[in-house]
Amino acid sequence: MTSFPMILTERMTAHPADSHLLDRYEATGGYETLRQALLSMKPEEIVEQVKAANIQGRGGAAFPAGIKWGFLAPIEPRYLVINGDESEPGTFKDRQLLERDPHQLIEGVVLTSFAIGANHAFIYIRGEYPKPARRVQQAVEAAYAKGYLGQNILGSGFDLDVMVHLGGGAYICGEETALLNSLEGLRGEPRLKPPFPAVEGLYAKPTIVNNVETISNIPWIVANGGDAYAAIGDVDSVGTRLFSLSGHVKKPGNVEVPMGLTWRELIYDIGGGIRDDNELKAWVPGGASAPWFVAEHLDTKVTKDDCAKAGSMLGSGAVIVMDETTNVVAAAHRIVKFFSHESCGQCTPCREGTTWLERILWRLLNRAGRPSDIDLLLDVCDGISPGLAWPPRMTTICPLGPSAVSPITSIMTHFREEVESMIPGLQEVASA
Amino acid sequence: MAGFIGELLGPFKGFATVMRQAFKPRLTRSYPHEMRVKPQRFHGRHVLNRYPDGMEKCIGCELCAGVCPASCIYVRGQDNPVDAPVSPGERFGFVYEINLLRCIFCGLCVEACPTEAITMTQLFEFSVTDRADAIYTKDELLVQADGTPNHGQPDGPLIDLAELKLADGWMRATSPAGRADFEGVPAWTPSAGVGLRPAERGQSDVTESEEEEA
Amino acid sequence: MPEQPPPEMVTISLDGQEIEVPQGEYIIKAAEDQGTYIPRFCYHSRMKPVGLCRMCLVEVETPRGRILTTACNTPVAPEMIVDTESAVVQKAQEGILEFLLINHPLDCPVCDKGGECPLQDQTVAYGPGESRFVEEKRHFEKPIPLSDIVLMDRERCILCARCTRFSEEVSGDPLIEFVGRGNQTHVITFPDEPFASYFSGNTVQICPVGALTAKPYRFKARPWDLEAIESVSMVDASGASISIETSQNEVVRINGVDNDATNHGWLSDKDRFVFQAIHSENRLATPLIRDDAGDLQPASWGDALDRVADALGSVRGDEVASIGGANNTNEEAFALGKFLRTVVVTPHIDAQVGDALNPEFLAGVTPRAEIGDLDGAATILVWAGDLKEEFPTLFLRVRHAVTQMGAKLIVVHPRRTGLDNIAAEKITYRPGEGPEVVRKLTAQGDQDYGAVRDLLTAGPVIALVGLTGRAEDPRLAEAVAAYALGLPGSKVLPLARRANVFGALDMGLAPTLLPGRVPVKSESGRAELESHWGPLPGEAGLDTAGIIAGLAAGDLKALLLVGADPVRDGRNPDAVRAALDAAEFVVSLDMFLNDSNQQASVILPVDGFAETEGTVTNIEGRVQKVNRILPGPGQSRALWSILDELSSRMGGQLGAGDGPAIAKEIALVAPAYRSMTWDRLEWGPERDGVVMPDRDGVQELRFVPDDSGLRPTAGRLALHSGRVLYDGGTRNTQSPALAGLTPDPAVYLHPRDASALALADGQEVDVAGEFGTVRLRLELDPSLAEGSAYVPANLDSTWVLGVPDVVTVEAQSSKGKKNEKKKGKKKGAGE
Repeated sequence: MTSFPMILTERMTAHPADSHLLDRYEATGGYETLRQALLSMKPEEIVEQVKAANIQGRGGAAFPAGIKWGFLAPIEPRYLVINGDESEPGTFKDRQLLERDPHQLIEGVVLTSFAIGANHAFIYIRGEYPKPARRVQQAVEAAYAKGYLGQNILGSGFDLDVMVHLGGGAYICGEETALLNSLEGLRGEPRLKPPFPAVEGLYAKPTIVNNVETISNIPWIVANGGDAYAAIGDVDSVGTRLFSLSGHVKKPGNVEVPMGLTWRELIYDIGGGIRDDNELKAWVPGGASAPWFVAEHLDTKVTKDDCAKAGSMLGSGAVIVMDETTNVVAAAHRIVKFFSHESCGQCTPCREGTTWLERILWRLLNRAGRPSDIDLLLDVCDGISPGLAWPPRMTTICPLGPSAVSPITSIMTHFREEVESMIPGLQEVASA
Repeated sequence: MAGFIGELLGPFKGFATVMRQAFKPRLTRSYPHEMRVKPQRFHGRHVLNRYPDGMEKCIGCELCAGVCPASCIYVRGQDNPVDAPVSPGERFGFVYEINLLRCIFCGLCVEACPTEAITMTQLFEFSVTDRADAIYTKDELLVQADGTPNHGQPDGPLIDLAELKLADGWMRATSPAGRADFEGVPAWTPSAGVGLRPAERGQSDVTESEEEEA
Repeated sequence: MPEQPPPEMVTISLDGQEIEVPQGEYIIKAAEDQGTYIPRFCYHSRMKPVGLCRMCLVEVETPRGRILTTACNTPVAPEMIVDTESAVVQKAQEGILEFLLINHPLDCPVCDKGGECPLQDQTVAYGPGESRFVEEKRHFEKPIPLSDIVLMDRERCILCARCTRFSEEVSGDPLIEFVGRGNQTHVITFPDEPFASYFSGNTVQICPVGALTAKPYRFKARPWDLEAIESVSMVDASGASISIETSQNEVVRINGVDNDATNHGWLSDKDRFVFQAIHSENRLATPLIRDDAGDLQPASWGDALDRVADALGSVRGDEVASIGGANNTNEEAFALGKFLRTVVVTPHIDAQVGDALNPEFLAGVTPRAEIGDLDGAATILVWAGDLKEEFPTLFLRVRHAVTQMGAKLIVVHPRRTGLDNIAAEKITYRPGEGPEVVRKLTAQGDQDYGAVRDLLTAGPVIALVGLTGRAEDPRLAEAVAAYALGLPGSKVLPLARRANVFGALDMGLAPTLLPGRVPVKSESGRAELESHWGPLPGEAGLDTAGIIAGLAAGDLKALLLVGADPVRDGRNPDAVRAALDAAEFVVSLDMFLNDSNQQASVILPVDGFAETEGTVTNIEGRVQKVNRILPGPGQSRALWSILDELSSRMGGQLGAGDGPAIAKEIALVAPAYRSMTWDRLEWGPERDGVVMPDRDGVQELRFVPDDSGLRPTAGRLALHSGRVLYDGGTRNTQSPALAGLTPDPAVYLHPRDASALALADGQEVDVAGEFGTVRLRLELDPSLAEGSAYVPANLDSTWVLGVPDVVTVEAQSSKGKKNEKKKGKKKGAGE
């Protein structure tokens, strides 16, 4: 592994006690970038830098942030919304950024708002994150007091108001349009696209929705230049990334690594290997909605393109490792149960399909499956995500439905025999 | 010659036929003093059945009225009273009338009924002296709590109520839950007839082949 | 129809066929217009698409390959390739239906929708045939009442959001909403807040499953034994298209029919459920004659008609007068007018019961707007009664124009109205001070209402003009119309409430009008009619007020009441009653006994709504066909046949032998209706109705409204006698579903007025006017103009008040019950 700058976690690693306080932030060079940028750069220059950095969104879809900003419709007012509704099972990276270095985010928010011409920014934080929300709120107040937020920031004439909003506890509000609905006080249900938020978002005005991690990178990019950022990591996927390692690894937790490692390096070198030195069975590479990887993928590079070619995604950076003791049907059932509980109930395939999948898996898990259940499972999956292809096609409004399909196609692809062995009828046929 | 003898015997030939018939078993029965056992799938008068707990099976869906080719059934549904429900669902048959003068006993109503509320019995004696009496109302059609159909003259010397409770093989064969070769206690609880039912034999090849397998 | 530029057409390929469709149209609509039905549940052509049910998935060729997309929210684009029948689409449709059915109970035999259920139909057409779902279905408590009328079965609900979208988008009272998530999502009202919408019945009609049911139809009949006929709602004069559905000669429900020109398929609950009155046991079924002892006795038609013929023949023609006829068809109204003018020979004819506008204004104001013009309007001025209460379906059209088509709305009314929340500007004025508002709007220099004047500079302006309340001077509406007609691109839509009042006026049931919008004053018009009918009185007759006065004074001797109740509707109930008592002979042709005909000498039962065939004319002058689907009760007869027989007994010749014959005569002698035939309205593109005059029709009457210099009236507590939808009217009280919805009678005061009078909210007070006193509960209403008192018109206890200009409101007098008085005092002291 080549050496790389710790873009996101340097401060919190060096000063674990007070990295979230404004004094520490300023003492470690915080808000300097903002001062210089606001006074000497034009908004377009910042956009140029971010485009040059080629930073991909860290929320899951990995859409290049600079290009997204470019889609913004030329209508005033515009809004910036920070998506801190980190609810993907296995993901806890934004929590650390919110809790330990909120000023880094706020600086990124001001820079981004300046770049896209927004005078109102909203930081939407998951309802189950009271402490991070409190920390961000305190940081916002401190930033207001010091003039980093509010009217005429640092004498530049740029105004920005930031509001911290706590969600109500729904996974679906991590979907950007559902998040906007939730911010507006409506039911958190994804909207039909088009129109995309960049054209018609919050209160029907052009809106940029970016992930916490994406925006936390902005101060570094503006300070060091987009090219410096693009030089880190792999050819296509650049920069560093926070991965939330969990499951059966020896050293779970958040790690910041440059893009372009192999999975082997991430799991065995950084994660310290599998617990009890068991065999690796499978891992979820990018949050519960991503199809699983198995041992054969260990030498795949951790980049957007390589993972996509291998049939999965980096998603939200949640790596859940399962060792040989894992019952894959139980694991899949748990994930599908999560999605069926979190389905917003709007569109039919997701509402009814995920529940049905969950109940079939429950049957399998309790040895009450029928021989026809394997085909049934796949066919129900096909009804939500026709063709079971990757990236998924969908019959639903948003990708939540197809997300529930991923674990099932994974176990059917990689562990079909194990699934079949749980069905009483099939076992007998096999043994006869 | 033969013609002559034949002519002589002519008058006796007729007697031969008479004599032959005279010693054959008699088909004519002394109805009504002697009743015939009716075929199992006889299409007789309808009854409205109950569940074992006494609830009416009819839900007033009017499918029987809709399917009736003679338009002889008149049904009206109503909201089931919550405190004293008549049938298990939300709705019950509030009015149920069959005009048996119009009925052609085709049994489509029995096939259409989703709850097997209406079935046919072996009862066929319902002559009336007033046309209005031929319109059977719900009170007359509905069986009693034990499954016995109502009868105009239950005490009549010729009335065999037990026969009316006999299994209705035809209904069983056409009902979605049943097969002709079904044996045992029917899943749809007593229609006209209670308890165990023997299978109807010789209804289809399937039955026989299945018997062979067994 | 409003002029709209033709939409740009694009060519798309639909299932391999090249078709031309308007640019921007959704695929589902474009395909349907070409005859390709794409299955759907949530899509409704009158609401915005939401893409929830996913039933309308089609494959569309895009640069990224063939994608599955919902046809309901994907607009067509040039060169688009759409496949609605591919294997992928069929698989998706089967999948969606199987998904929908996993939690949908299969209680179709019990369900009222069974037989006409989109879910059933589409499952047969596109479904998989068998379900593989073996687990237990989701369960909810079976129907829970959402309101007094609507019940909700959440198990059957497929969450298409049609009902919630209707109540939010169309009717604007979002009282139902989704709650819960995932599989447990369901539709429900807010806690303790019933779905008390005037339009709740529409949600039942558009529900694609049997989740929403309405009490009046619940378990009444099955769809396959319904007989249906299209007709027009006779609740108000907006001409909403309906289908009347009967089972076993009983009307069991009324559904809205999508008529582009009038109601867009929507109905108010009153339109929808008022049919119950048809089968009321209080319907008159035999003729009644008052015997010597003064009691009404059933009689034969012969005796009753002889009695009427004798009585009418024994007085001079111009001693006979007639009130009513606004709830009958045009043909009946025409027959009545001809009977009165040629057989009885009297000019004293009034269809309006003295509570509405000048007939010449209603029938003759030009340019007269059509309802469809609202959609193209820049500004809409509503200076009339609360449309939500008086013209519910028109209210929805105004709402549609404002919320969907971008019109700006100005509402002028003494109190809050249903349209206030979407109005750009609202002017609240004290009843009686309307002329002052007109003056201020007209005077350019005036500081008040600047924003309103600014809005009114943007045309086209459509002005809806009527009476805001019964106490208002009818001439105010003319002054408003005169002002409105001076605005850019303006048209006026005059409003009068009774079902076919415009038809009745067009048929000459007014003292100043002859059939076909010809003024009595017009020599040429009268001459032409005389060429058909023989000599006619050349003078205008008396209106209702004049008739009442005439009867009281003895100048008039006999009166016909045709479906009218002047006692209840009159300005001074006692005076009207006295006048009826003074009359030598009163014959009432009605469906029910009412406060006026209780004292009549002869009462003849007539056929009413759904029992007669004919045409009706709505506020726009649009003629539509109403149809007959069942016979009247007992011996009741059609009005025209009664009049025909009566005239032959009186030695006249009416020629009203049947409906079509009358319709032909109308086309012959009524200039504005010259080319009207029933055939045109029954078949083809004119089924939505035809605005008169058209083709050969000519309108002789051109009424130019004028500000007659009306003076504002003074006096404390001017009365605002506004109407409510569920009033104490006969049809409403005879419909069990609606009778319970009548609001509690009360008097409303502005809080400042109440405190000036030392009165408290909820207190029992005496409301006294010129004509009577009623005891009502006081309610405070900050939306009411100060210095006025609002008493809802025609509730069971309020009509006694009559319609005085001003009232006094005071705490219950000492004559009241002792303990109540104490209670009131305590309350007053406490505050």
